[in-house]
Amino acid sequence: MSSKVLAFINFKGGVGKTATVVNIAATLAALHEKKVLIVDLDPQSNSSLWLMRPDRWREHVARGRRSTFQIFDDALQGKNRFDFDEALVKGVITWTGLTDLPRLHLLPAALELLRIEDRIHELRPSAIYQILDSALGMQFKQYNYVLLDCPPNLYSTTKTAIFSADSCIVPYVPDYLSLSGFQVLAEQVTEMREKFAPYLPGRRRPNIGALIVSHYRQTGNVFRLAVNELELSMAALREAGVLSEQTVLLQPYVRHCVRVAESTSEHLPVILYAPGSIGAQDYADLTQRFVDLFETKK
Amino acid sequence: MNYSDLAGRLAQIGERIARHSEKLEGEILGRSAGKLASQLDRFEEHLESHLASRKSRELFLENLLRSPASKRHLTIALLKRASREVGGKRLKSEDLAAAKREFIHLVHGAGKQDQAVQFLKEVFAEAVHVESGGKEKTLLQREFINLGQLLDEDFAKEISARSIAELRRVAAVNGIRFTDKTNRQRLTTLIRRYAQRAAFNVPAARVASSD
Ligand SMILES: Nc1ncnc2c1ncn2[C@@H]1O[C@H](COP(=O)(O)OP(=O)(O)OP(=O)(O)O)[C@@H](O)[C@H]1O
Ligand SMILES: [Mg+2]
Repeated sequence: MSSKVLAFINFKGGVGKTATVVNIAATLAALHEKKVLIVDLDPQSNSSLWLMRPDRWREHVARGRRSTFQIFDDALQGKNRFDFDEALVKGVITWTGLTDLPRLHLLPAALELLRIEDRIHELRPSAIYQILDSALGMQFKQYNYVLLDCPPNLYSTTKTAIFSADSCIVPYVPDYLSLSGFQVLAEQVTEMREKFAPYLPGRRRPNIGALIVSHYRQTGNVFRLAVNELELSMAALREAGVLSEQTVLLQPYVRHCVRVAESTSEHLPVILYAPGSIGAQDYADLTQRFVDLFETKK
Repeated sequence: MNYSDLAGRLAQIGERIARHSEKLEGEILGRSAGKLASQLDRFEEHLESHLASRKSRELFLENLLRSPASKRHLTIALLKRASREVGGKRLKSEDLAAAKREFIHLVHGAGKQDQAVQFLKEVFAEAVHVESGGKEKTLLQREFINLGQLLDEDFAKEISARSIAELRRVAAVNGIRFTDKTNRQRLTTLIRRYAQRAAFNVPAARVASSD
């Protein structure tokens, strides 16, 4: 299967990385009949907890074994205890008590991931980059899309995600603090591309493929001006060779929608929780553009 | 619980019932067993129709018609077109909900689920397609940054060389809201303010466009 591995990154927190991962993944599975894997790499375990009830999640990831933590722990201990099939969660449980979205799979995260960053530097940098790709590269081939939900930083776990990705997606809230952060983020990713290059023979080096605007509000000038400044910045970064010509700002912008926030407490993607809501509609349109971007541009 | 958990549970219960069937008796258990059997009848019916491959396409079509994409993009006119192109028939219904039911009925009757799904997918894909602003937009954005870097006198000179229509285009492309009543002076003030802001918020653009 030709799979697309995409890392959702931004070192700014709360910009909608998890919301985009969860809702694009669910929409791809529900409306486009795609096989999708979400890999939760954030110790906060937000995409896991969005899609699993906390009691079930706690039981599943007990001591971190059936979670992405085990992949990193194995790399540190030189062991092989991670079992993909055991760790995998298939579908989401709806109010009926049974699973739906059978094409949507999740590798959950565990709080134990918090301990990884302190220990990981025992390994050589090139060994760190390759952890995720070596552990999961083969499994990724079973899916049409693999979406990596990264923590709000650019430390080692995020680097492993960028290394194994075909492309990076940057969720973005239109304001100045995000703008200044984005310029730095783009430079950092470019730097990583250079560092990764020797270890990715014959493979395309990951780049920022798209930006996705989240928490958009249509009132007044505020957000339109901020998005315009983002576009100006993207043009400048392209000219400076920091962003590629292919990097796009995807539309539509996802608007703030209370149903999306609420769906986290119901442990369902918004397309199942409130399919008629503005949020579900914005994600449906965005996912369509997402498919257009990754399936027509070959 | 997922479906393989359910399967395991049913298998386990089946085995226990079989093992102890001679000991099972009494009204309470009997009534409960009767209820279970009739629930199972209904469940088997749903299961059968779901497993028939045609049925799963029917379900997908129905899901698609209920989806957020439908809610945003599907109009009665589109559904009528779909009905003509896919089923070769005209829809009689005049409200959307009824038309959807009629459409489903027609498609299922004709066995054209795949074609109907394809049609809707294409319609939804077309509906979200947006034109990029193209060259014109890029030029107007660059002009905006340049205006933001000018000293007052040069800015005034540049502005006076432009028609109000040109100023409107610069403002509109760069996210400035105005109305038909916004006069030249007000528009100039807005452009001055936000172009300057863009020039200091996006320093990279400043360097790039001034060389
Ligand atoms: N479209 C939306 N409408 C309303 N609330 C939203 C929307 N998208 C996200 N949220 C809420 O905003 C908050 C931040 O979103 P999210 O957790 O997706 O960001 P994040 O970038 O993953 O954060 P972190 O950096 O902590 O990983 C969440 O509480 C979420 O419920
Ligand atoms: Mg998150």
